[in-house]
Amino acid sequence: MSDEISRRRIAPIVVLVVAAVLGGLFWVLAGSEAENDTSGVINSHLLGRTAPSVRSTTLDDESFDLARRKGSWVVLNFFNSTCVPCIAEHPELVAFAEQQAALGPGGAELYTILQFGDRIDSVRAFFDERDGDWPVVRDDDGGINVSFGVAQVPETFIIDPDGVVRLRWAGPIDAETLATLVQQQRDAYAPR
Amino acid sequence: MKQLKRWPGWVLLVMVVAGLLAFGTTRDAGARTPEERVEEISKQLACPVCDGESVYESRNTQSASIRTEIKAQATTTDATDDEIIAYIVQNFDARTQLVPKATGFESLVWVLPSASFVCAAVGLFFVFRRWRLAADLVPTDDDRVLVEAELKADP
Amino acid sequence: MLAEGLNGVLGHSALIIGFAASLFGAMALASATVLKNPRLLRTVQAYGTLALVSAVVAVIVMERALITRDWSLSYVQKVGSNNTPTLYNVTALWSALEGSILLWLLLLAIYSYVIMRRYRKRLADPLVAWALVVMFLVSAFFFFLALGPTDAFLAAAPPDFMRCCRGPNPLLQNHVLVLFHPPILYLGFVGFTVPFAFAIAALITGRVGEGWLVETRRWALFAWGFLTLGILLGGWWSYEVLGWGGVWAWDPVENASLLPWLTGTAYIHSVMVQERRGMLRVWNLSLLVATFSLTILGTFLTRSGVINSVHAFSDGEIGPYLLGAFGVIVAVSLALIAWRGDQLRSPGAIDSAASREGAFLANNAVFTLFAFVVLLGTVFPLIVEAKDDRKIAVGSPFFDTMARPIGLVLLFLMAVAPALPWRKASGELLRDRLFWPAWCGAGTLALSVLLGGDGFAPLLAFGLAGFAAGAAVRQLVLATRRQGVRGLVGRTNGGMIVHLGVILVAVALAASNSYTRAGEFTVAKGETVSFAGHTFTLIDIDEFTTSRSVGIRAQVSIDGGQAYAPAISKYTAFGIDVATPSVRSGFANDIYLTLEAGSQPSSGVAKLKIFIKPMVLWMWVGGGLMGFGTLLAAFPGRHRRKPTDPVSAPINLTSEDVAHV
Repeated sequence: MSDEISRRRIAPIVVLVVAAVLGGLFWVLAGSEAENDTSGVINSHLLGRTAPSVRSTTLDDESFDLARRKGSWVVLNFFNSTCVPCIAEHPELVAFAEQQAALGPGGAELYTILQFGDRIDSVRAFFDERDGDWPVVRDDDGGINVSFGVAQVPETFIIDPDGVVRLRWAGPIDAETLATLVQQQRDAYAPR
Repeated sequence: MKQLKRWPGWVLLVMVVAGLLAFGTTRDAGARTPEERVEEISKQLACPVCDGESVYESRNTQSASIRTEIKAQATTTDATDDEIIAYIVQNFDARTQLVPKATGFESLVWVLPSASFVCAAVGLFFVFRRWRLAADLVPTDDDRVLVEAELKADP
Repeated sequence: MLAEGLNGVLGHSALIIGFAASLFGAMALASATVLKNPRLLRTVQAYGTLALVSAVVAVIVMERALITRDWSLSYVQKVGSNNTPTLYNVTALWSALEGSILLWLLLLAIYSYVIMRRYRKRLADPLVAWALVVMFLVSAFFFFLALGPTDAFLAAAPPDFMRCCRGPNPLLQNHVLVLFHPPILYLGFVGFTVPFAFAIAALITGRVGEGWLVETRRWALFAWGFLTLGILLGGWWSYEVLGWGGVWAWDPVENASLLPWLTGTAYIHSVMVQERRGMLRVWNLSLLVATFSLTILGTFLTRSGVINSVHAFSDGEIGPYLLGAFGVIVAVSLALIAWRGDQLRSPGAIDSAASREGAFLANNAVFTLFAFVVLLGTVFPLIVEAKDDRKIAVGSPFFDTMARPIGLVLLFLMAVAPALPWRKASGELLRDRLFWPAWCGAGTLALSVLLGGDGFAPLLAFGLAGFAAGAAVRQLVLATRRQGVRGLVGRTNGGMIVHLGVILVAVALAASNSYTRAGEFTVAKGETVSFAGHTFTLIDIDEFTTSRSVGIRAQVSIDGGQAYAPAISKYTAFGIDVATPSVRSGFANDIYLTLEAGSQPSSGVAKLKIFIKPMVLWMWVGGGLMGFGTLLAAFPGRHRRKPTDPVSAPINLTSEDVAHV
């Protein structure tokens, strides 16, 4: 065996390259945070734009058309009868509805939009048991949920009297926060 | 039999395989059902609320509504797959698409593997070449002297 | 201060003793080796036994707490409930973070103990000693995790049954596979600690040239076998339970289990080159280090919550510790390789690319590339988020596009490598040996085209699969001709059977990914629909209630025969819907039925989704073959040699030979 075959020091070079790559990975992972539940006011592509058309029937078999609610403030709450945060949120919505009703004609109108596949009889039973006499709108094919981009129930949207979406809240909300948000929107509202 | 294994047998093999592949690839599989089209589209979209599942896999209520929406658009309008995807992506966050774009920073996820493959192939080529050249060595006189000395020392 | 019940005290004590025992065991062994003082070795076995006993006690205490519904422990409140059936209550041990660490710990303690007993007479050998030190240190780390960041025995406030005690996640309490998949998977993950420990020991002592890595080949094979089985069971479980009809979703947690499998597979092939020719030693060390590091990285990804996955179960606190451990392991290993790597490289060289060694080297490169691609795709959302602060998702379309060409290359390697001789192959030799396997491939291709297959990628896959199967069968035929039934045993031949299993799985995946037909139907009671050559009649649809769920179930008769019952259940405590698909397995295809939301039992209408999935059964058969082949490969073949013997035999020169030099 001749001496020309020397033992080249390639190990440190390879190690350096690998270490650089893994170091980068380590840095990225160390900087990542676990994702917390997003709750609160979040972005929506609908903000500042006219709300999508909502035409459906309510639980009481009356027709519902969002466009005809123009002229009043509308609060849409997306709901499912089995989702635990929705159930927890419900008493707050009852309180909110009462408070808005007490404001007279300027008060916001509350509507619940159901989810695809939610059992109608369960929803009826839910509302019978726990009060809440505002219209509950069916979304049998899920199209309303999709057009509003609802990611996870509960979500609440505030729509102004011109039919423009003003705010989107993800997660459960309490009566006071909701009332305050609606009032803030009222104060900022300039009629078209 | 031996002769078969030489080049005639192999040429025949290559022709047969090429022919079968050509036939099979260009054959028409028949129309897709609407469900299969919905499947293909929903495989490219991430469920907006689940953890990384695609709309196709997820059993979530929201995913079910998205699938229904895709089906409605597929059957009642003449929108193309891309248009339907764009519509869904527009309604939700950009995160909805499961396939990273081929431009900008995101393209790295396509570029890096391809680049690594090229590097690996080139590297292997050079390594094999170096070894082949090294293996073609002929013993020098110094080597012979060394070997003889060792053999004398240890018969 | 919350009052700790008996279980909490016992559990904590056991973990503290185990932590101390592992730590002291490592210290005693390390000092004995460094100071060359064999008297310190006497205590080591006691420490090892103590660590094992502590881990066993901790797990028994936790199981007892679960079974007796001891609400004083916060973990029991997290995963236990009053109406979970016993089986799922027992498996609840590993259904969330803290308990899964206990399971990991138990297996690690068992492995450490077995290694300690197996090599108890050789503890004075520095290589064995350092390996055991590494195992003790890893055990100590996991004991620390179980005591601190993920305290399974944490005391809890008295239970508020409105919020707690709802039981394990519904997906983990409706199929018996929850009893098998996690423990088997963990046996694989934890098992790779053993060859890693020996790799580190070999790097520290500089003794790579002997048979040690070869001796640990059996341990690596054992771990690899369980990891393979665990991954396949996970796919089966996904198929049976999740309702979307697939077996693999490239979910981040699934990828986390695949990554060590990829480098582990590369290792068990590459170690054969080391056994036979003493080469690729540093590759093997690096692959072992990579495999173990990837198990820790995988654990981090699953449990830290940084990546979203339907499998992930995280609480956020454990993340930094696991990431830190990953960092330490990688840093130490890389430092050792940089220091020792060049000295340990074999002076030999691979003579030709067309040789078995060349094929194994290419194999290493392909598997490493595959692992890199999977890792990149899995963490890429985090990289983009770190740079641009926006969220993207990388899913199946990316991974499928990348995996397809790599899979085809691997099939090709599988076909060609068994026919390649060691050292160098000539074109003639290859032409000769590969002739019949190649025609096998052509035959498979013809058969697929005949059966209606189309599409370039699947057809090419079928052809290559036939080619690879032909090569494997050729090898087996040659071996059994020489040795009879004994020819089926041993590295090479057992390996060929594993390859046949892999080929079956690959073919099944290609077929079911490309040729699945799906259709959705709204059927009324008594109505029949036909799809893809079969008829489906809805016999009945009704509601049912169990203690944990309410659901709808449909009875569907396929082709007028037996009724299959897909269902959806809503687990009332969670509000989560769990689909229960119903599958009729067959040789040619599976008929997979799910009941979709929107079915109304009151009006007798069911929304059925029907999948016709070709060749899914072959996947499980292939998996079984892989397991069987692994068993066979673990046994010694014909050329049984003590692994610690020198690799090359001495040559006896006659005077004639000398004259020619």
